[in-house]
Amino acid sequence: MGSGRWSTDVYAAAAGYRAATGASAFAYSDSGARTVHDALNPHGVTVRESRDSDQHPRSTPIAILFDVTGSMGAVPRVLQTKLPELFGLLIRKGYCTDPQILFGAIGDATCDRAPLQIGQFESDNRMDDDLGRILLEGGGGGQRTESYELAMYFMARHTALDTVARGRRGYLFIIGDEMAYQRVKPDEVRRVVGDTIAEPISTEAIVAELQRSYDVYFIMPAQASYTGDAEILGHWRRLLGQNVIELDDLDAVCETIALTVGLGEDATDLDSGLVDLAEAGSAAGPTVGKALAPLGGTRGALVRSALPAGFGDGRATPVTRL
Amino acid sequence: MTEPRHVIVVDLGYGDAGKGTIVDWLCATRPVTTVIRFNGGAQAAHNVVTPDGRHHTFAQFGSGTLHGVRTHLSRFMMVDPLALAAEAGHLAGLGVASPFELLTVDRQALLTTPWHRAANRAREAARGDDRHGSCGMGVGETAAFALAHPDLAVRAGDTGSPATLVRKLRAIRDALTAELGPLDAPPVEAVAEAFRWFGTAIRLVSSSRQALRGPCVFEGAQGVLLDEWRGFHPYTTWSTTTFDNAETLLGETGDGDALRLGVVRTYTTRHGAGPLVTEDPRLTAALPERHNAHGPWQGAWRAGHFDAVAHRYAVEVCGGVDALAVTHSDVAARHDLKMCLSYGQLDRIVPGERGDLAYQEKLTQTLATATPVYTGLADLGEALGAPVAVTSHGPTWRDKSPGREADGSTARRSSQ
Repeated sequence: MGSGRWSTDVYAAAAGYRAATGASAFAYSDSGARTVHDALNPHGVTVRESRDSDQHPRSTPIAILFDVTGSMGAVPRVLQTKLPELFGLLIRKGYCTDPQILFGAIGDATCDRAPLQIGQFESDNRMDDDLGRILLEGGGGGQRTESYELAMYFMARHTALDTVARGRRGYLFIIGDEMAYQRVKPDEVRRVVGDTIAEPISTEAIVAELQRSYDVYFIMPAQASYTGDAEILGHWRRLLGQNVIELDDLDAVCETIALTVGLGEDATDLDSGLVDLAEAGSAAGPTVGKALAPLGGTRGALVRSALPAGFGDGRATPVTRL
Repeated sequence: MTEPRHVIVVDLGYGDAGKGTIVDWLCATRPVTTVIRFNGGAQAAHNVVTPDGRHHTFAQFGSGTLHGVRTHLSRFMMVDPLALAAEAGHLAGLGVASPFELLTVDRQALLTTPWHRAANRAREAARGDDRHGSCGMGVGETAAFALAHPDLAVRAGDTGSPATLVRKLRAIRDALTAELGPLDAPPVEAVAEAFRWFGTAIRLVSSSRQALRGPCVFEGAQGVLLDEWRGFHPYTTWSTTTFDNAETLLGETGDGDALRLGVVRTYTTRHGAGPLVTEDPRLTAALPERHNAHGPWQGAWRAGHFDAVAHRYAVEVCGGVDALAVTHSDVAARHDLKMCLSYGQLDRIVPGERGDLAYQEKLTQTLATATPVYTGLADLGEALGAPVAVTSHGPTWRDKSPGREADGSTARRSSQ
């Protein structure tokens, strides 16, 4: 490198950036925090809202909840580094209008300090702030179950989406590698969320309730402990049908989410979506193509027309692209 | 009059009027959330000195950083990731806890690479005595390369895609070495890795919209008299130095409410080659610049009396200013400064058509033979037809006084 006041060494620059990344990405958790950050604590929360506004007239809520226990601890770190790509794809390629993204984390209500963490729907970089506040549990029960049903209970009963009033639904992605418990338990709901429910709710019932507001997807990445486990995949397929996505490479998770939204909004088909990815310089194409083949291949019959009765009151508009 | 939400700070001279210290003051005294860079690149050198004696030459970070104000590098910026890392290191040394967390960079912003920098130096060295006064940072090369090879220019967003990044960096290296011979730069893979980490550590965004949510200060680089189209060709920068880019960004959010603040010194300076009608070697000797030495690439630091003719031209070509910031009024209080309200042969530099570089070159020739006609230093606001919003009589933000006191006598009173 040349001389002069501003010459700098390329390796020093790389090291400087790398150090900054390590120090700042999950500052809350990495600083040794042991409890859920106030901003993410679901207890006593009335609703997390995804609202239309002058700046975002047609909001598209996208909730991303991930298991933060055991082998899944890497997921939020990957998401954090890939987040710009996700948002960039959604907006640049017009996969959806006015995306608003919420992050949450799922643990185990039977034994974890942080069984449920839920951020806000954000349409800007503040979602990144939520991600940085997530407590990465790292432990986990090891019994092939996590409290996914409790998270789904919260999302079903404590979120309010303007898109639903417009006859549409939001997107909910759960990234995990274990099964939900069989029912939502009143004592856990009281302790974690603060609600009083008289009786347990079956997980099937809470999924059905949740699907009134969200298209729900389960993503199971390859690095997970139980990847390919037939029992776990079968569990989620019984609950969510074809909306179970097996992902060979966790690095492709953001692209997978972006393309799934694009498919759901009828903004792209799988083939052109993969071209978009290549154009955007993403190497994730083959992985995403494989993961989404089951969804992409059955587009005709999928999701959008299947709104439950009573929603939209006939005002539901067909998907239009601006 | 309600105060505009944003302030655009533009230097009406040849750079070095003191944009940094004015941005520092604005951030110290207003609820500014973000400083937005809207032109130039890492060659900016905006000096800020704190009341407790710390000093930083801001190049890519905004000059409000020491107040914790965020910086947004808009798509009009040419970002140099290597220089940025070094600057962050210095800021960390001054006590800024996590400098990168204060930054957002537009994905569309061009990146300056070590090959651009090396090419810049190679070309400038080859010019010998006809140097353009470049800073040797490769900013102009970055702009020129992007115009010639739009598909190969590296943008901040490319750092997320390793394959694209390496392909483009190779193409830049190959194109520039084919033109200029071997260039002094690290291997492509090493640069690619550093750039990837840059993209990971710094938040990349798709527009300036988010940055514009709170009150912003737009921090210009260089000066209007160096503008790529309005400056005196060829002694110009590859950058639009007027209010235009800032107003484009504001227009995109439908938020045009900004104060157009022009910064001038009580005397006129130029760093490097090019016209400086009022140049006075005695003034250069009497007023050495603490933070602007003779640059190895840029050349000599030059000083002259206040050139109202050239500054009026600047005000005119940038579409007028709402107010002025006058710096170095303490110098006016200590030295016998003069003011040039007309040249021997003309009292107005007439703007040409935008983009007519032949005309700009003619202006350069005219200015080369122009002789200044001097009067005593009078009120700069009157000379330029705009109110003085702030006067600076020292290096720190505490050495600023609102309002008009631009001439020496009042400044002397206020600095007691």
